[in-house]
Amino acid sequence: MTTSKGARWALLGAATVTAVGVGRAVARRRHRHQPVKQDGWYVVRRGVTVDRPVEAVIGFWTDQERLDRALAEWATLERIDDEHWRCVARDDSGEGVEWRADITVTGPGRLSWQVTDGPEQQGTVELVTAPQGRGTEIRAELRYRSGPLRRVLGLAGDHEPDLRLRDTLRRVKSLIECGQIIETRRDPSGRGRMQERATDKVRERLSAGGRA
Amino acid sequence: MRALCWEGVGKLKVRDVPEPTVRADGDIIVKVRASSVCGSDLHLINGFLPAMREGDILGHEFMGEVVETGPGVRRIAVGDRVVVGSVVACGGCWYCRTEQYSLCDNSNPQPVFTEKLWGHSPAGILGYSHAAGGYSGSHAEYVRVPFGDIGAFKVPDGVPDDSVVFASDALPTGWMAADFCGLTGGEVVAVWGAGGVGQMAARAAQLLGAERVIMVDRLPERLATAADRLGVETVNYAETDVLEALREMTAGRGPDACIEAVGMEAHDVGPAYAYDRAKQATRTQLDRPTSVRQAILAARKGGTVSIVGVYAGFVDKFPLGAAMNKALVLRMGQMHAQRYIPMLLERLVAGEIDPAYLATHPMSLEEGARGYEIFEKKQDGCLRTVLHPA
Repeated sequence: MTTSKGARWALLGAATVTAVGVGRAVARRRHRHQPVKQDGWYVVRRGVTVDRPVEAVIGFWTDQERLDRALAEWATLERIDDEHWRCVARDDSGEGVEWRADITVTGPGRLSWQVTDGPEQQGTVELVTAPQGRGTEIRAELRYRSGPLRRVLGLAGDHEPDLRLRDTLRRVKSLIECGQIIETRRDPSGRGRMQERATDKVRERLSAGGRA
Repeated sequence: MRALCWEGVGKLKVRDVPEPTVRADGDIIVKVRASSVCGSDLHLINGFLPAMREGDILGHEFMGEVVETGPGVRRIAVGDRVVVGSVVACGGCWYCRTEQYSLCDNSNPQPVFTEKLWGHSPAGILGYSHAAGGYSGSHAEYVRVPFGDIGAFKVPDGVPDDSVVFASDALPTGWMAADFCGLTGGEVVAVWGAGGVGQMAARAAQLLGAERVIMVDRLPERLATAADRLGVETVNYAETDVLEALREMTAGRGPDACIEAVGMEAHDVGPAYAYDRAKQATRTQLDRPTSVRQAILAARKGGTVSIVGVYAGFVDKFPLGAAMNKALVLRMGQMHAQRYIPMLLERLVAGEIDPAYLATHPMSLEEGARGYEIFEKKQDGCLRTVLHPA
C-alpha cells in the first residue's frame, strides 16, 4: 500500500516537473523567435542574399516591370520622383481592401516605407555587400501593429506580414538571379478538380514564408 | 496524355492527364522516349518521404526529344534528342555559378517542408514529391523541363536511348560518389549497393584511378553482373561478415574509400536490422542507416565515406565516435547533374562507360506499375525497369 502511494506521488511529481519544464521551454522558445515586441510594435528583421553586386540589385528596384512581377498581384508601385514612390497593395485578409504606402529613398542602397492608409506598418530596406563575393545582402526590417489573436489568424491564413516579407524577399532574389519565379501549380497530374484544389492549399502552405 | 501516377502508399496507376505547356521563357517540353525507375522512387511510393499527393506523376531519370521551347531558350532546339538532369537548377544563383546545382536556391517553389526539416531548402527535383517542388515527373508521354538551357543536354549520335537515359541520374550520381573520394590512383574502394548507382560508382572509381573495387550486396545475380561487367571483387553480406571480409581483403587496413549507394531502405541480417525496421515502421526514425554504419566502421583510419544513397530525416545508432576518432572524411549529397553530364556524354561516346546493361527490363508506360513491382522485389534479375511511353 505504502509503495503504491509512494509511486503515485513520484509519478505526480514527475508529471508536474515535466509539465512545468515543457511549459517553460515553450515559453522560452516563443520568446527566442521573431517577431520581437518593441513599444507596442511587432518587429522582424529578415534578410536574403542575392548573387549580384549592389548596383545590379538597385537596378532591379528601378525596373518597373520586374518589380511588378516581384510584388505579384498584390501590389503596384508608382514612381512620384527619384526619391519617392507610392505603393498600392491589396490586403488579402480584408478581401480586396486596398492600402497605400509611401516609400522614400533615404540614402545609397537604403529606403524606408510607411503605410499611410491601411494597417499600421513601416519598415526599412538596406543593401549591403556580402562577404566573399557572395553578392548583396538585402536586409529588411518590418514593424507592424498586431495582437496575439491576429497573429495566430494571420499565420493560419498565410497572410501574416512576416510571412509576406519573407515571400517577397524570395521572389525578388529569384527574379534578379534567374529572371523568373518558378511555379509548379498547374503542372499535369492525375488529380480531379477537388483533389487539385486541396493540393493547391498544400502548395501554398509549403510556399508561404519559405526561403531558399 | 498517359502518365504513371501515385495513388497512395504502394499504389500506382496509369491515367489520362492534361499535357504540359510552356509556362516560362526558359521552359522546354520533352517527348519522353525512355524513363527509368530509380531506387529513390521506392521511398516515395512506399510513403517514407511523406510529401506525395494522390495523382502526382513519378519519374525523374529520362531522355527524349524536344517538341517545344520557350522564347528564352537558346542552346536547345525543337527536334533535339536530349538527356535531362533530374535536379532542377536555375543557372543564376551562387550555387549554380559554383556548379553545385543540386543546391540551387531558386528551383524549389515549395521550400517550407525541407527548410523546416533540414534548415535550408536544396534544389527542386522533377517528379520527386512536394518536398522537392511538386514537379510533374517523366513517366509520361511529355514532361515540362524548366530552365531547359541549363538542365537538358543534346545527346551525341550513336548513343542508344537505353544507355544515355542513365546519364540523367544513376551515372552522374555514381560519378559524384567516386569524385567525393578524392582518388589519386591505386586506392581500394568499397561500394555498398550493386544497383544502377552502385555499379556506375564502381565504374567511375575505376576510371578515376582506383586499383581495386569491392562491391557489397546480398543479391548474387547483381554481384555476378558487377563482377562480369566491371571486373570488381564482391562480398555478399548475407553470407559473409562484411567488416571482417573487407578488413582481410585489405590486409587489415580497410578500404581507403567507402561509397554508400543504398539509401534509407537498406537491408541487412541480424537483430540490429530488425530493430531498425521496427523503428522505421513506427516512424520513430525515418531512415534505416544500416549500410552507412558499416561503411563508417569499415573505412580505413583517415579514409573517406561518400554517401549518395538517399536519406530523408533522422537516424539512430549513428557511429559518430568511429567517424570522429578515425578522422574520417564524410561527403554526401544529391548529384550535381549539370556539372557532370557533358563530360559523361563524352565518355559514353568514347565507350569508357556503357550503362546499357542496367536496362534489364524495357517496358511500355502502361506496364509501369508492374515494372516497379519487378524492380522493388528484384525479380527476374531486374536491375532497372525502363519505361518507353512513345
